[in-house]
Amino acid sequence: MSRYRVQGWLAQGLTYLGLAAALIFFLGPFFWIVTTSLKGNEDFFAHPPVWIPAEPSLAHYTRLFTHSNGLRYFLNSLLISTVSMFAALAVSLPTAYSIARWRFGGGFLSVLLLVLRMLPAIALIIPLYIMYKALGLTNSYLGLVIVYTVVYIPFAVWLLVGFLRDFPVEIEEAALIDGCSRLRALVSVVMPIIAPGMAVVALFSFIATWNEFLFAVVLTGIETKTMMVLVTTFTSGGTDTFYGEASASVVLGVLPAFLVAFLLQRYLVKGLALGGTKG
Amino acid sequence: MFRSAIALKRKQWEPYAFASPSLFLIALVIVFPLAYAFYLSLQNFDLAVGPDYEFVGLSNYTEALFRDGRFWGSVWNTAVIIVPSLTLELLLGLGIALMLNRPIRARPIMTALLAIPPMVSPVMAAMAWRMMFGVKYGAINNLGLQLGLIDVYFDWFATPLISVIAVVLVEVWHNTPFMMLVLLAGLQSIPQELYQAAKADGATPWQSFWYITLPLLKFTMAVGVMIRMIDLTKLFGLIFILTFGGPGGATETVAFNTYLVGFNDFRMSYASALSYLIVIGVLVLTLVFMLVQRRREARAAA
Amino acid sequence: MKRLVRPVLALVLGGLVALAAFAIREAPAQAKKPYEGTTIRAIVNAEYVKYSLSLVEQDIYDKLGIKIETEVIPLDPFVAKTLLEFNSGKSPWDLIMFLPSSMPDYGRHLEPLEPWIQKLKLDFVLDDIPDVYKKLMLRHNAKLVSIPYDGDIHIMFWNKVAFERPENKSKFKAKYGYELAAPKTWKQWDDMAQFFHGWGWDGSDQKLFGAGASYKPSASGFSYHWWRARFFSYGGMYFDANMKPLINQAAGLRALEEMVKTMPYYPPGVLLFESEEPKTMLIKGEVPMLYSWTSTGKRVGNKAESLIIGKAGFGIVPGAEIDGKIVHRPSLTPGRAMGVSIYSQKKEATLKVLEMLSNPEQSLKIVMDPKTIMDPWRISHLRSDKFKKSFPGADEYLKAIEISFPHVVPDPILPGANEYTRKLSFEITEALAKRKSPREALDSAVVEWDKITDRRGRDKQRGLWGEKMHEMKTVGIEYHPDWAAKAK
Repeated sequence: MSRYRVQGWLAQGLTYLGLAAALIFFLGPFFWIVTTSLKGNEDFFAHPPVWIPAEPSLAHYTRLFTHSNGLRYFLNSLLISTVSMFAALAVSLPTAYSIARWRFGGGFLSVLLLVLRMLPAIALIIPLYIMYKALGLTNSYLGLVIVYTVVYIPFAVWLLVGFLRDFPVEIEEAALIDGCSRLRALVSVVMPIIAPGMAVVALFSFIATWNEFLFAVVLTGIETKTMMVLVTTFTSGGTDTFYGEASASVVLGVLPAFLVAFLLQRYLVKGLALGGTKG
Repeated sequence: MFRSAIALKRKQWEPYAFASPSLFLIALVIVFPLAYAFYLSLQNFDLAVGPDYEFVGLSNYTEALFRDGRFWGSVWNTAVIIVPSLTLELLLGLGIALMLNRPIRARPIMTALLAIPPMVSPVMAAMAWRMMFGVKYGAINNLGLQLGLIDVYFDWFATPLISVIAVVLVEVWHNTPFMMLVLLAGLQSIPQELYQAAKADGATPWQSFWYITLPLLKFTMAVGVMIRMIDLTKLFGLIFILTFGGPGGATETVAFNTYLVGFNDFRMSYASALSYLIVIGVLVLTLVFMLVQRRREARAAA
Repeated sequence: MKRLVRPVLALVLGGLVALAAFAIREAPAQAKKPYEGTTIRAIVNAEYVKYSLSLVEQDIYDKLGIKIETEVIPLDPFVAKTLLEFNSGKSPWDLIMFLPSSMPDYGRHLEPLEPWIQKLKLDFVLDDIPDVYKKLMLRHNAKLVSIPYDGDIHIMFWNKVAFERPENKSKFKAKYGYELAAPKTWKQWDDMAQFFHGWGWDGSDQKLFGAGASYKPSASGFSYHWWRARFFSYGGMYFDANMKPLINQAAGLRALEEMVKTMPYYPPGVLLFESEEPKTMLIKGEVPMLYSWTSTGKRVGNKAESLIIGKAGFGIVPGAEIDGKIVHRPSLTPGRAMGVSIYSQKKEATLKVLEMLSNPEQSLKIVMDPKTIMDPWRISHLRSDKFKKSFPGADEYLKAIEISFPHVVPDPILPGANEYTRKLSFEITEALAKRKSPREALDSAVVEWDKITDRRGRDKQRGLWGEKMHEMKTVGIEYHPDWAAKAK
């Protein structure tokens, strides 16, 4: 009997040990990048290395904001992601409703979703670039918002259809009998109740837009760069330069991912599998 | 199918009206450009040379297939990155998922913490790691130096082999948690009764893993592997930051090579042809994978 | 009478002087800022170029009243992205910074300067510009269309600590049989790289490196610039008169084989090094020698970062000994020049800015600043007393540039120059990474070059190359198939 107990303890101990190792491996880089962004310049070059700065300072963030146009690009990312998020929701919800209630083209949707999931963004960016160039949409917020909105529609629709199907039709029916129009019923009856579901979709499309790189690097110009594009400017001059500003911009760039990972725990598998987090 | 009259009481135009904004946008921003790209791939549109172009038939495709060593090199590089990444992601992901599936404390919070890396943009992940790989001031070399594991001066991008290892390491860090989440969901859907029955029959933990867990997890694993494989064929941001395709062309993936053709050389037609070849390649790969999977299942059933 | 005259005269004179002084003070105030309110847009290819413009912006505004708005497109996509705008027949920019080796691509979008020089009485002090720029880089279809902004030639730098330490000298002599001194030939360079690699040649117990280099194939192709200094001194040439690439002939092969063989003596990350990494290693005392852009010299002399101030040597890039005479062929890399867009609506103001930017005094400010990475390009820069005294050894540094000028070799100045050089550089780095043999690498570079030539029109390229080849001959650069075998 005690042999099994010892074995059990051992297994349990090893499990915790393994999980601790996993936590260190997967979270260590975040820890390091945050402490690095708070270090003074002399701490980068200290031997033996300084792992946790004694006197944390926000100097690198200030410098990033004032010298590298960081504030502007941070706000760009925020603006573009927020607008695309709302736009994607606004366009996807009626479509999802149409599919959930009337089974409009449901098969088509899943095919489209699958195709888009497989389609490399590089295949889309080349024709889009030429079209945008002709229309004068490069280096514009509008151009980026349009692409992001549309690219995430299938994903948003797919998730929303699920939420709508779980929604009791009877409540909606009552509203319709009272003489509400469909649209009215959708806005004032359905939306409040599936709001949590919509929030999930919104957060996914927000983080996806925030994280997207290829469209951003090709379509943005000096005014409309996003955080993802800003980071690339710190890659020249070798791996040992720009520690301060680069780490500060990485911290700002991963911040939303942390929030979303916690808020969306339950939906992570679905979202990640459907490609709801990157372009 | 639907529970009430509500579905029948619709006006004929309503489904279309509700769906049309997104259909219109998808047609405009996805379907049309893809068609346009195919048209382009049959021309010789070369923005660096000039705005004029003419029809050249399939010559872009034949150039890519028969006269472009760099393209084939990029196909090979992509495979060289995919195979070890997938293997490691699957093994590590399975290991962590099994650990998380044991009766342990604080499981939700641990799962949530471990799930963060795949939520982060590849560009940011790569930048963080690029700095950690820093020769003199990076975390890894400093740690290695303190522990006496590495030489004074170790460059993580010195040779093609080391660079591929570095890229795979970052990729594994970035996406193992995804595999773990998928497998954890799979594990949790296996009925506990099976294990209890096995235990009653005197099966060792190893036996129940081998004869219960693995067979029942196979489908989940296949789905996870397929999703990751498709994603890995698009590997771009990571490469852009970590190595820019180097040293030489050792880590130049198909997506990155196409990007260079499109936005460094501005050979729009040729880049379109390359991207169509990639799409076809991914499609074939997926189909083959599904076919093998299905055949194996059929054999297992028989 | 006489007594009266004097005071009156004095009074009148004094009045006149006062008036004149007033007028002088007033005159600029009236004529001051003749273009007040004008803003011109400039396009440049790096943040540090933008910074360099900021050094003279205030003076330009004070004198002309013109403000400059500068946009940056990074080096890698710069050529293609800017040409894209021009080829569509417009340009959002007035002042264009470009790579002179891409002149055939840019030239037709640039305003010929000579008519404006007449009309506006502009003075670009052309006599003060070295011949090689005037002959090879500034003209398109024989018309002057641009003025240099960044000299961009390679010279050699070395750390005297390594070369003058007595232990090092005796050790070297014992091993190689000749005196240790700054290398004059590639053979010596390679010997010394091997000699210095892997130990503390500065007397420390650190493992230091044999030499520095930049081998990443990005921008206009770093590894290509490093390769061609050897290639041309071994008698190589880009194409023959028929547009057949000559890069895979004996000279190219020998150059690349030597580079591959000496790879172990360079810092391990050299395959991904762009311009700044090896410079940093030089000034931190980690590599004993490096040939690179002349701007390296300013970093050598920059107190804020350099550990080798006063301990650095400067000279011409090594060469090959041909029939007892050493042939040096340092690279004149793309460089930077400025021109005025023909699509600009503000040509006059832009030309005024260009004149002011490039005048000897203002441009000296730009090329002297250690943070700009802009290289001196006027003869007066090289002879400026101020520059010579700006850091210990600056006079030697400027002299090294001046003696290098007559030997430099330009890029293949053809339409698509940037693409030719990038593709070649990629293949060279493939060989350095040992993913291809030198022969395979150069052969596939030839295939790529032929593709580029065909896409741009073989006949057109052949015609233009014929002219270029002739121009290169006038500065003494020709194909010598026999040199590769006899070079020492």
